[in-house]
Amino acid sequence: MSENKSEAGLLVYILPFLAIVPLMHYQGWESSDSAILIVAVPFVTFPVILVAGQLYNGHETWKNKLKEGGILALGALGTSLSAAVWIIYDYFDALPDFGDQHSISQWLEWVSFDLLQSDYTLTAETNILGVGVWVDSVTLMLLFVATFLCFLICWFSLGYMNTDPINDDRNHRFYGEFVLFALGMFGMVLADNFLWLFIFWEIMGLCSYLLIGFYYWKESAAYAAKKAFLTTRVGDVFLMVGLFMLYDIYGSLEFSVIFHDPSLHGTVDSAELFWALLMMFIGAVGKSAQFPLHVWLPDAMEGPTPVSALIHAATMVNAGLYLVARMVPFVDVGHHGVPGLEDLGLIVAYVGGITAFMAAAIAFVQNDIKKVLAYSTMSQLAYIFTGLGSALWFYNHDEHHAAVVVFGASMFHLFNHAMAKGMLFMASGSVIHEVHHAHDHLHHGNGNHEHFDPQDMRNMGGLASKMPITATAMMVGSMSIIGIPLIGGFWSKEGIIAETWLAALDHEPLMIGPAILVILTAGMTGFYMSRMWFMTFAGEPKSDVVDHVHEATPWIKEPLIILTVISALGGIAFALLGATDYLSSSYGDSGHLKLHESTFIDSVIYQLEHAFLPENQNLRLVGWVTILLSFIIGPIFAARIHGGSLAEGESATSAVSWLVGISGKFGSQDVSSLSESDLAEALEKRLYFDDLYEGLLAKTVLPMAAFAAWFDRTVIDGVIKQIESNSVSGSLQIRTITTGSARDYILMAAVGMLSIIALIWGISA
Amino acid sequence: MIDPSWIAGLGVILFGIGLIGAFSRKNAIVVLMCIEVMLNGANLNFVAGTMYWGGPDGWVFTTIAIAITAAEVAIGLAIFLSLYSTQETISLDEANILRN
Repeated sequence: MSENKSEAGLLVYILPFLAIVPLMHYQGWESSDSAILIVAVPFVTFPVILVAGQLYNGHETWKNKLKEGGILALGALGTSLSAAVWIIYDYFDALPDFGDQHSISQWLEWVSFDLLQSDYTLTAETNILGVGVWVDSVTLMLLFVATFLCFLICWFSLGYMNTDPINDDRNHRFYGEFVLFALGMFGMVLADNFLWLFIFWEIMGLCSYLLIGFYYWKESAAYAAKKAFLTTRVGDVFLMVGLFMLYDIYGSLEFSVIFHDPSLHGTVDSAELFWALLMMFIGAVGKSAQFPLHVWLPDAMEGPTPVSALIHAATMVNAGLYLVARMVPFVDVGHHGVPGLEDLGLIVAYVGGITAFMAAAIAFVQNDIKKVLAYSTMSQLAYIFTGLGSALWFYNHDEHHAAVVVFGASMFHLFNHAMAKGMLFMASGSVIHEVHHAHDHLHHGNGNHEHFDPQDMRNMGGLASKMPITATAMMVGSMSIIGIPLIGGFWSKEGIIAETWLAALDHEPLMIGPAILVILTAGMTGFYMSRMWFMTFAGEPKSDVVDHVHEATPWIKEPLIILTVISALGGIAFALLGATDYLSSSYGDSGHLKLHESTFIDSVIYQLEHAFLPENQNLRLVGWVTILLSFIIGPIFAARIHGGSLAEGESATSAVSWLVGISGKFGSQDVSSLSESDLAEALEKRLYFDDLYEGLLAKTVLPMAAFAAWFDRTVIDGVIKQIESNSVSGSLQIRTITTGSARDYILMAAVGMLSIIALIWGISA
Repeated sequence: MIDPSWIAGLGVILFGIGLIGAFSRKNAIVVLMCIEVMLNGANLNFVAGTMYWGGPDGWVFTTIAIAITAAEVAIGLAIFLSLYSTQETISLDEANILRN
């Protein structure tokens, strides 16, 4: 206990950071000016941590008091969080003043330049690339998600990273990159033009490479880092092309110009814009790990678990979604959008639907607890893409009401998913950490560390009684992801599925593909998330390690508890406040976060009616089928295969014991025949996508690379080596005339002088 | 009054003698003396020039050049002393260790 107390005492060090924002407030700064702090403070902290880490590694104060930079990182992220909260508070405070539902503040002109026209004259007006902040409801939501989760995950890392001896003297690298990554996300969300969005986007790409490869001496980690970097790079190239095309069309990349100048939209060629947006969408596909650029995300689990929580659930993968959300003004025909872009919505929805289904199917057979979560992330992001696709489709057909609902639902799902998945990853980290420690404790010096995988769920089981907080957290998180009625993600997922079906049934028959896929995925989500929980926490222990697991590490519990509350209640709370309407308000509709009806009870009744008994008969059916699949069928199958009560004499806390009890009631089913089928093997091999890509690369890129290497070695290097050897032999020859005798030099100088005089004479004569 | 061209001619001759001496002799002190002769030839050229064109510039330059030359001789002799103390010779043929 005394140890925990001294750990909490370290929080004193972050107080100066937290004091920055109140101080600025007293100095009379505006909140929009403080937005620069959100990016600037981490940006200053990042080199400080790295350099201080190099200087003071192994130093007592640095290691125990500053946690090898962790406390500094926590402080910097705390500043960002407090500045973000200030902005959010101010925004709500001043809401009626924002006629257009967004606020912009331009800080400085970054680059100004003239363009060379085809007749070799410069354009009359100077083009300016600026730096500024764009704040609207989507920004606020993502800003809160990013700053809040980064802060909590950093907190969690203090417990997870600093107690593992393998990380000693390396943590400064982790925290430095962590902070740089976080500022990349903050900056991308705040940017007021596509250029800065892209720059911060790339910072995140770099940091994900560095963080995934944190254990770079492990071959698999180095490979995963390379794979993540290169795969997202494919998307990034397309994004860049898309931005070039966009600049070509609009002559600017500023949101304020592109979104709000109606004269521009009238002259835009819809085919060209379609291709520009499609290119940008491919960039989003790469970043958010959607089919067919999804292969990097599961491998990215090689990084430390906080990295998985940070990058692959809470922030970076949301960048792609954010980019697609920013495409709405282009297609919103009600507000100067360009008609004829409905194919874009269809493509987005199909990519989403296919990924959702595929990822959920692969998650069925994964035994690594983090891999299950990775595929679950892919699948849930795909839901959001499907929703955004429908939203784009609706916006482009001026079905304004439906578009607003599904766009808001998608953004709301992003919020719910980020909160729940950030927590799930941290909970899985807690499990892995404690199992690992228990194994170390048990087999200390036994030498069989190599053969034990602390992430393998087949080594767990029955942990519910050992880790009550983690088990509860994971239960709530899984429920939110599954969409158990009334909890977290239910409120948003229902909206996405219902509106996609609405699009399919009432408007566009082609939408039926994604619609069927997402509703099937709802059931599959119920299965694989329940399977993960049951395999980890229910049933009898599957290895001797389990008996020695304790929830003892400091810093790990607090984020789990906070996020459990948010995951459980955040969904219903924001649903009552009309979050879906509010989140769509970025694009021209007014929306406020307030109760829909006058009293609280009425609002609850309204929302429940809305969710369970919508007026449209078809949607009512769709809603109940979704609930049936995700709430009843999926979990029951999982319970039959993997569930079971705890071992004799063990008892879990009341929060989770009922679930363990239920899971034992459904009997057990032997699925070994199914698990040996071809399909299971194909799923195990991730549907052969990795093999396919590797085969393709081996056929195309590798010969090209080999040729380039040959060319480099023989032609380019050859020429340079020839020049080099010639100059060596030449200088050796010149060297012979330098005798070292002063008299010779005087003679040479005299002869040279005379020659010059003779030359001048000759010229002048 | 002597015609300035005679003086200039004497300067050229002195310069030539100094130059030939500088690259034909081995003894460093003699070479230094030859360099002084060359400088004096140049000084005479200044004198001739200023006689021809008038004005005080040439006289001033010559005075300064003589002063500088005196300093230069002191430095040169100091170099030869230290050369002798390390190499035990002041023959310029043997003072070629900077070559490599």
